[in-house]
Amino acid sequence: MKPTSYRHALLPFALLALGLATAFGVRAALVPDTFGDRGWYRAAAVDDQAALAASYAPPTACAECHDDKAALHAKDAHERVPCQTCHGPGAEHVATNEVKLPKPAAASDCLACHQRLLARPGPFPQIDRRDHFKLVGVKDESTPCTTCHDPHEPLFLDRDRRQARLHPLIQRCRDCHLGRTDETLVKPADHPAIFECQYCHGEIVADFKQRPHQRVPCTTCHLFTKESDFAGRIVRDADPRFCLLCHRAGAFRSVDAPPSIEWPSHRDDVSTGPQDANKRCVDCHQDRIHLRRADLGAAHGG
Amino acid sequence: MAGDHHTKLSRREALALLAAGPGLLLLRSGPLRAAGASGPADADPDWSSRNWGYAIDPAKCIGCGACVRACRAENHVPVGRFRTWVERYHVLRSGEVHVDVAPGPNHVFTADVGVPREEIVKAFFVPKLCNHCERSVCSQVCPVGATYTSPDGVVLVDSKHCIGCGYCVQACPYGTRFINPETHVADKCTLCYHRIRHGLQPACVQACPTGARLFGDLNDPHGMLTTVLSQRRYRVLKPEMGTHPKCFYLGLDREVV
Repeated sequence: MKPTSYRHALLPFALLALGLATAFGVRAALVPDTFGDRGWYRAAAVDDQAALAASYAPPTACAECHDDKAALHAKDAHERVPCQTCHGPGAEHVATNEVKLPKPAAASDCLACHQRLLARPGPFPQIDRRDHFKLVGVKDESTPCTTCHDPHEPLFLDRDRRQARLHPLIQRCRDCHLGRTDETLVKPADHPAIFECQYCHGEIVADFKQRPHQRVPCTTCHLFTKESDFAGRIVRDADPRFCLLCHRAGAFRSVDAPPSIEWPSHRDDVSTGPQDANKRCVDCHQDRIHLRRADLGAAHGG
Repeated sequence: MAGDHHTKLSRREALALLAAGPGLLLLRSGPLRAAGASGPADADPDWSSRNWGYAIDPAKCIGCGACVRACRAENHVPVGRFRTWVERYHVLRSGEVHVDVAPGPNHVFTADVGVPREEIVKAFFVPKLCNHCERSVCSQVCPVGATYTSPDGVVLVDSKHCIGCGYCVQACPYGTRFINPETHVADKCTLCYHRIRHGLQPACVQACPTGARLFGDLNDPHGMLTTVLSQRRYRVLKPEMGTHPKCFYLGLDREVV
């Protein structure tokens, strides 16, 4: 028996068409534009991300106006500290001079890097504020670091740090031991701590230990910074302002130690003529520190 | 752009319209969208050929937190959340390992951990951030395709598309993701994507005063990063997770996880 009509057979097809249309409709509405162009994500999102505004100006931007500060900064110990690490994000300041950047000068700002901590790498300069003040005779606990240290020129290096002398890191036996190794040092456990100044500069260190600065570590004046696994840079600092970091007279400083100097009146008082106008502390007081290599009669070994 | 003549709809509007019937299909149908739609002018024309990577030298890290503060300022990271942070490790004579992060919004360590000095064998800092894994778990678990790896190898979040479900936050083995309490979507390190596309360094790399953080193109055979990685010993975090991180730690101590 044949059916009289096939209309009922159209119903499943109509339902299928409706279902497909709904499915495609839902998908088209929910899947955002550019989705799937580059992968299973919205390709335009990459450009959205790239179009965000930067808060930090390019590192070269600061020196374009502040070239004087930049030149000062580039030659001293903070040479590698980017401007905006202390002064904060500067893109707005570069765009409009209306926005001024902070000049952080609180002790806590300096101590973020320089607070003595066990976890901080040994060669990095770090202090305990109480010990530091005791060493340099500062009475007032609230004295800010910037009283003595200029953040752009913290150590008053008397020569450009980038041209400082390269000094090897002592790593191989033969760097010190020419020929046969000393009997007592055959066992590595008996070996003294590696890389102490007196192992190579024994004569100078022995002389230094007889003189008033004996408690000052060598690296306080001979600033050493590790440059690679094999070498560092070492500077001898003899700028009068460097000596005055410890010796400058000030109301916040104790009178006993270290001896307080009025500067530059001290230089003017002992001056014998215009040739003394640029005299440095070490030109008269070298005997307070240690004798020079030439005075000791030793040839420079390296 | 080919899709510009399309009616723009939010998902909410789209669902409302759907209730009215499948006629919407007509609105949304159109020619195939051109692949690789052009974005804003790039300072770096070869950007899509890059494969950005990152290296950290923990021996140089002084734990000052400058990177964390720079990241916060650059990316408007809410207080209490971190896109990058610095962990401090103290390894004790007993073999116990103490890990802590600096307290306070400025992320500054002010004192040693409260353990007698003679008990401590070694102590060091380890900066952490998103590892921008080659096989990123977070992208795999995202149900809507809101987390993805950009053509230049940076794992990013599409904040307009993210539904804030938090699967990726749980999936990341390195704990580098969080739900932003202001936008309520997933948030993480982008390697300062808006900076690197314009030839700048990420804010944390630029702010680091000791050069402990290095950033570069792994596809550049003579680049700084490839050179460092060919000369130095390094390892990645949790290699057993199979994520193939692109954040390399130079000479990292074995205690670090």
